[in-house]
Amino acid sequence: MADQPDGIVLRRHRDLEGRFWGPWLRRALLALVALVAVLALVGVFGQPPSTTSAEAAPARMAISAPGAVRGGLLYQARFEIRANDALNDATLVLNPAWLDGMTVNTIEPSPVSQASRNGSLALSLGHLPAGARYVLFMEFQVNPTTVGSRTLRAELDDGEQSVLTISRRLRIFP
Amino acid sequence: MDIVVRAAFAFAFVFFLTRIVGRRELSSLEPFDLIMLIVLGDLVQQGVTQSDYSVTGLVLAAGTIALLQVAVSYLNYRFRRVRQVLAGEPIVLIEDGRVLEANLARERLTRGELEEGARQSQLDSLEKVRWAVLESSGQISFIPKQ
Repeated sequence: MADQPDGIVLRRHRDLEGRFWGPWLRRALLALVALVAVLALVGVFGQPPSTTSAEAAPARMAISAPGAVRGGLLYQARFEIRANDALNDATLVLNPAWLDGMTVNTIEPSPVSQASRNGSLALSLGHLPAGARYVLFMEFQVNPTTVGSRTLRAELDDGEQSVLTISRRLRIFP
Repeated sequence: MDIVVRAAFAFAFVFFLTRIVGRRELSSLEPFDLIMLIVLGDLVQQGVTQSDYSVTGLVLAAGTIALLQVAVSYLNYRFRRVRQVLAGEPIVLIEDGRVLEANLARERLTRGELEEGARQSQLDSLEKVRWAVLESSGQISFIPKQ
């Protein structure tokens, strides 16, 4: 039997005493990394869009947007309004959570006017005749420092009168 | 502030990855590994600095990584138990010409890779090896028989 090199303890470095758990710990941690990748594949970290809709007598609205996004990424929110009755002054009111820590790249088609309504963004869409379909696209980018979870609220008003409201959760990963 | 946190997270995550992928993957730098290294560096950079092109950002990120590197080095030096976790420990692969198959399997090393390592150390047969030790760096040290 050869004398071992300096610094080598045979029981620990040859017979691996007390090191049985090493490969299993490594496998468990690798599984954890794999789990994160699998969760990403099923969209947990963004950003496949999901649709939320609400309907009231005068109109129906559906919002298609991601429920999870990541810092720096571009994403789209699509608002589709179907007027059952004529809306004389259709207004889309977005709470500050839509905009706080986000960059709005564009709103298409441009609303007739924009205003602040009690801290929310009010986009005036103009007159919508009965049976009309109106689709509004908003393109956002998440500011890199924005993280957390928030509730997005979008309210469809006719003038000052609320028609319907949609609430969604948005998770922002760093 | 966030760039310091991101740099620290990137350092910890890359350190964590290098510890769990196994020493076999760290022991060689073949063309594919070199390309992956560059790709990984680019991915890490994007996550750390994102759209920050400032010199301040550079100083914060590079400074944070350098400080953490020194901290890890100090912990390795100061505490043996921490060194075992952070740096790993050597594993004997050959003793007196006899290949320890269980230890080889534990590190996903084949006999062929061991023979290749021996050849690179000017040893034409594993039987001429007194000790072969897989070091925590991923390199295999060969000590020939006298």
